[in-house]
Parts: sequence; structure tokens; C-alpha cells
Amino acid sequence: MMISLQPLTNPKPSTLNPHNPFYFPSHRPKTLKTPLLKPFFPIQSVLQYNRKPQLAGETPRVVVITSGKGGVGKTTTTANVGLSLARLGFSVVAIDADVGLRNLDLLLGLENRVNYTVVEVLNGDCRLDQALVRDKRWSNFELLCISKPRSKLPLGFGGKALIWVVEALKDRQEGPPDFILIDCPAGIDAGFITAITPANEAVLVTTPDITSLRDADRVTGLLECDGIRDIKMIVNRVRTDMIKGEDMMSVLDVQEMLGLALLGVIPEDSEVIRSTNRGYPLVLNKPPTLAGLAFEQAAWRLVEQDSMQAVMVEEEPKKRGWFSFFGG
Amino acid sequence: MASLWTLQLHAASLPRCYSSTHLEFRAEVGGFCSGFRKWNRNKFVDGKFVLRALSDPWNVDEEHKRIDDQNEVIIKANVARGVKSQNPLIKLQHTVASLPPVIFLKKKHFSISFAAGLCAVAMLLIVVLRSYLARKSRNSRPGSVADLVRRGQLRSDRRGISTPLKYEDPFNNPMVKVGKSNSTVEMCGKLYRLAPVTLTKEQQAIHQKRRSHAYQWKRPKVFLKEGDSVPSDVDPDTVRWIPANHPFATTASDIDEDLAQHNVYQKHGVPFRIQAEHEALQRKLESLQNEQKLGKLVIDHGAAKDFERPFKSHLKSEDQVEQSSSNSQMSPKHTNSDSAQNSYLNRPASDEMQKP
Ligand SMILES: Nc1ncnc2c1ncn2[C@@H]1O[C@H](COP(=O)(O)OP(=O)(O)OP(=O)(O)O)[C@@H](O)[C@H]1O
Ligand SMILES: [Mg+2]
Repeated sequence: MMISLQPLTNPKPSTLNPHNPFYFPSHRPKTLKTPLLKPFFPIQSVLQYNRKPQLAGETPRVVVITSGKGGVGKTTTTANVGLSLARLGFSVVAIDADVGLRNLDLLLGLENRVNYTVVEVLNGDCRLDQALVRDKRWSNFELLCISKPRSKLPLGFGGKALIWVVEALKDRQEGPPDFILIDCPAGIDAGFITAITPANEAVLVTTPDITSLRDADRVTGLLECDGIRDIKMIVNRVRTDMIKGEDMMSVLDVQEMLGLALLGVIPEDSEVIRSTNRGYPLVLNKPPTLAGLAFEQAAWRLVEQDSMQAVMVEEEPKKRGWFSFFGG
Repeated sequence: MASLWTLQLHAASLPRCYSSTHLEFRAEVGGFCSGFRKWNRNKFVDGKFVLRALSDPWNVDEEHKRIDDQNEVIIKANVARGVKSQNPLIKLQHTVASLPPVIFLKKKHFSISFAAGLCAVAMLLIVVLRSYLARKSRNSRPGSVADLVRRGQLRSDRRGISTPLKYEDPFNNPMVKVGKSNSTVEMCGKLYRLAPVTLTKEQQAIHQKRRSHAYQWKRPKVFLKEGDSVPSDVDPDTVRWIPANHPFATTASDIDEDLAQHNVYQKHGVPFRIQAEHEALQRKLESLQNEQKLGKLVIDHGAAKDFERPFKSHLKSEDQVEQSSSNSQMSPKHTNSDSAQNSYLNRPASDEMQKP
């Protein structure tokens, strides 16, 4: 990363139009100290390093991250969005609702610290607060697993149990968490039902391929039947080079098929796998990676209940000039 | 927060062309800082480093009352408060800011004052360099607390060792730049074109309607095994059938729901099962005592201590208070706890036992 020699005296304010994905509706104050030079165009100045997203909606926001199809990146999304939220200063409880095949703890690198799960809480082997695993990197992030890999959970009980968990988190002493993210297992089985039961909103993760899309549409239908109206999608593993070569559906094609607002577009990134191996979510990487930045942006939109207004569609040949300052 | 340090130097100690001028290095130094900031994202919230040389008609020399052009160097270290950073530049600024003001007065003799000025500058440099190196070596020393933080043994936010990158803006930073026309965006060194999202509310509603026709679904409320009969009061649509050999699900609910709910809501004290186990073991111990067999029973005190939850004598009263939800009753708990205790009587003595 090169050091920019852009002078401080020229903060380069950029006025943004509504077709910008990075534009936020102007009725919400964006910067803490935005100078109101032009009343109709919010001006982004260097002061935005103090920016913090505005939490919209009632807390705790109970968000289920689901997909229908397996392996499309639900757990990756939960881990990265969750830690991004924690870094933005919100308290987050991530619940791994996968009864049989839990792996959120692995992605977070917390696998050695999960001693108790919801099943043990239900049995009276421990209290709920003992089952919550607090991340040492970001102490406002906590992980709760629903069960250990080999323990059996009575069916039809998981949903109730999660509702109790949410209730208990609501009136805990340190105050309710801002976000409760529920990592939903694949399929539309009991695990899915368990995961969606306490949720008020959903993030649908899909990849731009037809199998994943069909499942996503089905799952969206089920969520809507269940009364979850606030559904936004994250399109994962997008390859702009393949889209350009017409080998992959574009994000806008996906949107046309599903008719859902976009929370984020995550590019295919080998760093995702590397971060899984490390147990160190991508968003904590320094310098940030493409997918990490995309997750952070998605988290930001989630906080503000915002959606994308434009998507990055194709790579253009890199021009010399202004942008060459930022060569990565 | 903002500290001001005025350093007056002899006119001759600075190049002649600077005298009687008002010079601002702001752009250069500021530009450097902003570059630094870009490189070191957000650690540096609002740093400003202004070096300014200006002429000042201030003379304290007794022998020569003549007002001479005297250069004043103001180093303003304007560092935002509360920025914990390992940025060496900020450390340097802090060091500079913490030094007392030094005023070098103009002396008549050219060479003496020149030497003095030179000495002062050299000394200053040495001090700054030394403290910088000291800090650097302290941070890089292996086996420090920073290593504990790195290994996840200590919380970083409390120690203030690593920088909590709160309120970082993912939309405008050195890695993400929106083009001037807003039709392009630069991310991680790659330039992308932006295509506006065209989905309208109406289209969204049409999709919703389509789905509501395509998928009619009721969330299953009852789970039954093959062979079970559907209860009469249950909507057949909400029944989910699961295979008997399901890998991780069971329909047989061997836990009492109210009790389970109470367990989830419990905030303090000893969890129910641990307490039940403890009581059962205690009873067993008592019965053994009555039979004069106590001598053969060995209790491992070390193992008992390892067990984190302390057993208190006032467990029961504490337990009663924990009822946070009004709709769940305590009564099923007690009926259930008796049976649970009985079942534990048959279990072998565990290490969790502790002598009352
Ligand atoms: N943007 C991406 N780029 C590259 N690899 C990815 C990306 N997103 C996810 N993956 C990879 O896909 C795999 C599956 O991801 P993940 O476990 O998050 O999916 P999941 O939906 O939770 O799966 P499951 O349905 O089994 O719970 C992982 O190996 C992950 O590294
Ligand atoms: Mg998963």
C-alpha cells in the first residue's frame, strides 16, 4: 500500500448521488461533524473517521442468516458481519443454531472455549451466562452454540429454547445485546425452523448460481409465510471477471430473480479460506481484503437497515492518474 | 489535548531566506501526515503537525535593544485525545508535546548563538530519538503483555494495547474510493464500474406475491416419529415427521419444558442439575455415614476445588429468587427435582462432590 501524498488542506469532498452504493439517504445524519456547506448534498470530508452507523430498529435485532442450500457462506457471513458489528461498537450475540454440524466456533477461533451449549443450559448443567463464550479480541461479541456435535436435542424444542434464550438475553444485567445473529443450518428441516423461530429479520445468503437461487427463493417464501418480512440478501462468491465474460449471473440478474433488496455483494476471495484456517475472521485482517471490506459494508447497512443502491459490475482497465496513488 | 510548544531560534540558526517571512510547512507536513494516516488506517484520528516559521519583533537581549528579525518556530502538536496508537509518528508528537517550552534567546555573538542553537537542536533530536527507540524496543520485546493479548489470553480493549478500530468507515478509506463521477469505485486497487440497482418496491411486492402463491407453508409445531399418531387438536399441516434414526434429533422429550425454561432464565446461583446432583450425593453420603461406612469413602478435595461452581449453604433460597418470568411456575420444578434426585442416587459418586 502506497502512502498518499494528498495534502491535508485538500480533503477532497465528494458529493454523492443516489446511484452510489456508498450513498446513504440524507435524512439520517451520516457524519458526526459534517460541515453543512451545501444543504442538499451531504459532504464527505476527512472527518468521517469518526463516523459510526446509526442503529435503526428496535434492539435486540434478532437476525437469522439463512440460505437453504448448504455451503454458500452462511457461517462465514455470520462470523464476519458479527465481528464487524462488534467492531462498530455494538454488542453482538452470535448463535450457532446448527445442531448437527456446528462450525461457527471454528471460524471464530473459539472452538476450544465452548464448554457449554444451550442443551446444557436447558438441562440445568449450567447457566446461560456460562454458555456464552466471550470473544477476547472484541469483548462485545459473544458466541452461543445450541448443542455439542453429538448431543441430541428434542425436536420442536429448539425454537422454544431459542425464544427463551432471546428473552433471557433481553433482561440480562448488562443490558440486552444490540444484535442477535443466528447462523441457520442448511435445509428447511428442524434446524431451520429452530433458527428462524425467534428472528424478526433475515439475511439470505446466496451464490450467483441457479441451484442456490432456487433454494433461496424457496426459503424466502417460507420466511415470508412465517411472518418474517424484512429479508435482505447477500450475494456471495461473486466473480466479476466471470460475470464480465458472461459465465456467471450478475448480481443484478440475481436480484431480478429473487426480488430482494441487496445487503451486500461478497466477492470470491481466497482469503476467506485462509481466515477460516486461522480461526480469524476476515474483517479483522490488516490490511483489509476485498471480501472483508464487503462484509464490513454489509454490516454497516445492516445496522442502518439500508440496502445497496448500486453494484460493482465489471473491472475496467486500470487508469493511470489519480487512482494510482492508492495502488494496493 | 492540543499542546503548543514555542521554540525561538536565533535568526542565523535558520537559513537567511526564512527571516522576516511567514512560512508554513503545513501543506507539506500535513500531506505527509495524511499519507501516513492513509497508510495506518484510522489510528490517527485528527492529527495535525504544523511547523511554522515567522518573524517576531521580540527581543529580550539587554545589550542590544534593537529589534531584530527573529525566527520563531512554532511546533504545534495537535493530537486528538484518546487515540491509543503505536504509530511512531504520534509517539514522537506526544514526546515533543510533553517537553517543557524552551526559549533560546538571541545573543549578540554570532558563533556562540549558532553553536548553542545547534547544540539545542542536536540535543532535542537525541532526546526524541532515544525515547522513540526506547518505546519501540519496549513494544517489540518478546514476552511482553502484548504477546498475551496476541494469544488471546488478555483482552486488548481494557489494556489499551491494540487499537480498537471502532467507527471505521468501510465506505471511504484508502482501500475504497468512489470515483469523481460516482460511476466508478476503486477497491483494493481495482477499478469497478457501478451499475445502479433497478429493483423497485412494486417489483419487490410482485415477487412476494408470486412466492406466497408458490409456497404455502406453516411452521411445523409438532414433531412426530413414524408410528406416532397425530394428536386430535393439531393441524396436520404443522406436523413434521422425522425418521426414527435421525442423527441428532429426538422426538422424545425427556426434559420438562417449564423446568428447561426456568433453567434458561436462571441468572445466578447453581444450575438446577448440579444442585440436584449435589443433594443426591449428599444424601447418599449421609446414608453411608449412618451405616458407618464413611471411612472407606475417599473424597478428592483437589478435584472438588477444580470445579468452578461453589456450593453454598443458602442455595435453595437463592434459587427461589431467580424466577424471572411470571408465567413459568416453580411447582413443576420441585416435583421434577425429586425424581431427578432419585435417578442420581444410582449414579456413581463423582468428583463434583464436596463435603458440606
Ligand atoms: N466469498 C468467498 N470466497 C471464497 N470462499 C468462500 C467464500 N464464502 C464462503 N467460502 C467458502 O465456502 C465454504 C462454506 O462456507 P460456510 O461454511 O460459511 O457455508 P455455510 O453456508 O455456513 O455452510 P453450511 O450450510 O454447511 O452451514 C467455506 O469453506 C468457505 O471458506
Ligand atoms: Mg454453516
